[in-house]
Amino acid sequence: MTDVTLRIDGMSVTVPAGTTIWDAARDAGIDIPVLCHDPRMAPVGVCRLCAVDVGGRTLAAACVRACEEGMEVRTSTEQVQQDRRTLLDLLLSDYPDVSRRERSTGDDALLAQARKHGISNIPYPDGSRASPRGEDHSSQVITVDHQACILCDRCIRGCNELQHNDVLTRSGKGYRTRIAFDLDTPMGESTCVACGECAAVCPTGALTNRALDGIALVSEEET
Amino acid sequence: MSLLAQMVALQEAHGAVTDADLRTLSREAGVPLHRLQGLRSFYPQFSSAPARVPTIAVCRDVVCRMRGGSALDRYLEGDGARDGNMVPVSCLGRCDRAPAALIDERPHQLRFEDAGGDTGSPQAEPLLPAAVRPWGIDPYTEAKSHYGTLREWLARGDVDALIDTLKESGLKGMGGAGFPAGVKWEACRKAEHPVRAVVCNADESEPGTFKDRTILAELPHLVIEGMLLAAWACNAREGIIYLRHEYEPERHALEQALQDARARGTLGANALGPGRAFDIRVFVSPGGYILGEETALLEALEDRRGEPRNKPPFPVTHGLEGQPTLLNNVETLAASVSILHHGADWWHRQGRNGGSGLKLLAVSGDVEQPDVYCVPMGTTARELLEAAGGMRDGAQPLAFFPGGASTNPLPAAALDTPMDWEALREEGSALGSGAVTFVAEGRNLLELVLAQVRFFRNESCGKCVPCRVGSHKAVEMVEAALAGAPEAGLPETLRRLDGTLARTSICGLGQVALAPLVALMDRFPRETWQVLAGGEETR
Repeated sequence: MTDVTLRIDGMSVTVPAGTTIWDAARDAGIDIPVLCHDPRMAPVGVCRLCAVDVGGRTLAAACVRACEEGMEVRTSTEQVQQDRRTLLDLLLSDYPDVSRRERSTGDDALLAQARKHGISNIPYPDGSRASPRGEDHSSQVITVDHQACILCDRCIRGCNELQHNDVLTRSGKGYRTRIAFDLDTPMGESTCVACGECAAVCPTGALTNRALDGIALVSEEET
Repeated sequence: MSLLAQMVALQEAHGAVTDADLRTLSREAGVPLHRLQGLRSFYPQFSSAPARVPTIAVCRDVVCRMRGGSALDRYLEGDGARDGNMVPVSCLGRCDRAPAALIDERPHQLRFEDAGGDTGSPQAEPLLPAAVRPWGIDPYTEAKSHYGTLREWLARGDVDALIDTLKESGLKGMGGAGFPAGVKWEACRKAEHPVRAVVCNADESEPGTFKDRTILAELPHLVIEGMLLAAWACNAREGIIYLRHEYEPERHALEQALQDARARGTLGANALGPGRAFDIRVFVSPGGYILGEETALLEALEDRRGEPRNKPPFPVTHGLEGQPTLLNNVETLAASVSILHHGADWWHRQGRNGGSGLKLLAVSGDVEQPDVYCVPMGTTARELLEAAGGMRDGAQPLAFFPGGASTNPLPAAALDTPMDWEALREEGSALGSGAVTFVAEGRNLLELVLAQVRFFRNESCGKCVPCRVGSHKAVEMVEAALAGAPEAGLPETLRRLDGTLARTSICGLGQVALAPLVALMDRFPRETWQVLAGGEETR
């Protein structure tokens, strides 16, 4: 396989042809934020948080875009940062007040990105009140909070591609899209075998370990 | 048969694709249930339970709203729901006979007895296929000479000359993107792997757009011949026409023309010369505007949810089943026949005001005779308006959308702009999908543009965050402003949102969804600022 040489944030990088910009940047020590991408999975490029400037009319999703010879990639221009803040604003405008993941294990990736990007006032209408998407408590193992779902596709790939359990899909279309089990049956009545992969790969409070629900993380200073 | 084709057959036979149907299909086809649920819930043609009474699917988009007036608004937003069988749907491509509806899947024009106050059920007149008219892009005057251009090129045998002719003509993709057709054909010809298929994109669905419908109904032989010429040039294995399911009457005209071509031997075992077989099949889309996006269309052909792919790679190298695929719009294929019959010079001479060739434009809105007009490229919007009988009831023009819902509205002062790629781009808009909607003085432009944005919100596939969430938030915020409660700083918020959608959305739908809104703020500040900024001039 041939190699390609490109520049990422001014740094010259040589990688095998077909390497994604995200992988090339990571190997060069440059951190491009992501929500939908997980290195264990085939990238889908849907959260768009990894958008980078490659000199085109539109930005490129670094997790899916292959490096090209002579490409000039800029990963954090003011414009790119502004677009990432807008994307985070949009996701947070629909987010529930309490994330089960943040409350129990403190590792909600959306909230971490929001802190990192200094999100404070969200200019968009609150979707969690106008059209709540509901919760599913039918499973004995995993709690589903559709309001915290950002449709990153990680649970779907985890279920179908990593575990080959073939239970999860996106259901519906547009703003009404949700994750669904089998023919949109409650999780606890579906063919789900409760392997836990979906909750393990979920970056938000959408799919969480039921046993931890209600347990709040307390920092040492507070005890 | 593909999964989607089987589901369409179930829907047509029983009026639904039920859970039981999907469990059977899952077992027989060996695919998991979730995948079938993903398909059923994505495509609007499918329902999980049969309707109790025949359904009236009524268009809720901009041209029908203009023609239907307050009676249609009341019917869509309340009165129709009482009947229990009215479903508001996206543009049906019958904007010349607005307001339009599908009753039992057949197109109708609605008429309301507008007595004010309560709206009764509308009268519905079936729309029957029009008589075939002569068209400037048809090089043939009689049916027996059809496919003569193909025969000549096959006899000549010079594919390079064919591609050169198409490139010299400058023919651009008429679906809206305007990519040079000759360059695309050449790229497919030179692709590393054999070309899998020539796909005709007959999924036009943008509000105001119905030119391809007319070509399919009246000139189907040109679409077939264009696909044959393309297949010969690119060595394609198969032809597929991806047709929107609302074009049922046009499908019959098309199927008839395909039968005729097979009877002539034009399609079949020796279509592209001795022993070189080629045939064309019609794939009826289970619905949705997004399927007109070429990679979403390919996803549907591969039995998946019609969600656009990340690009690059493009279909000319990685199309159907990952193999090189030539995708062209209906009008592009039809025009290619005319060009390859008369030559590139002839094509150039057909244009005016710097334009090249002929253009089919669907004219709708506040005009006397909404219809498809075949005009020289470069004809001004004013001349087009005159051809369509002028403004309806002698009204004054206020604005026009020159190329469909995604193109920026232009003021009446721009009516002398030539209808051409370059001239419209310089004017800050686009030729788009060949749909020209004229708007009369007295109309609320912000409401019309909001209707366009709502269309994109309704038709968003939901795959990427900016389009899925951003288009919805924009609609909510403009609705609140029209109701008298604009958020502080709304114009700036909309402008920032538009920028993010344009730069980060996966496909053209999200990239342009808010553009007409921002253009309206710039070009028609008087009409918008009062509402969006609460009277505050903040620009």
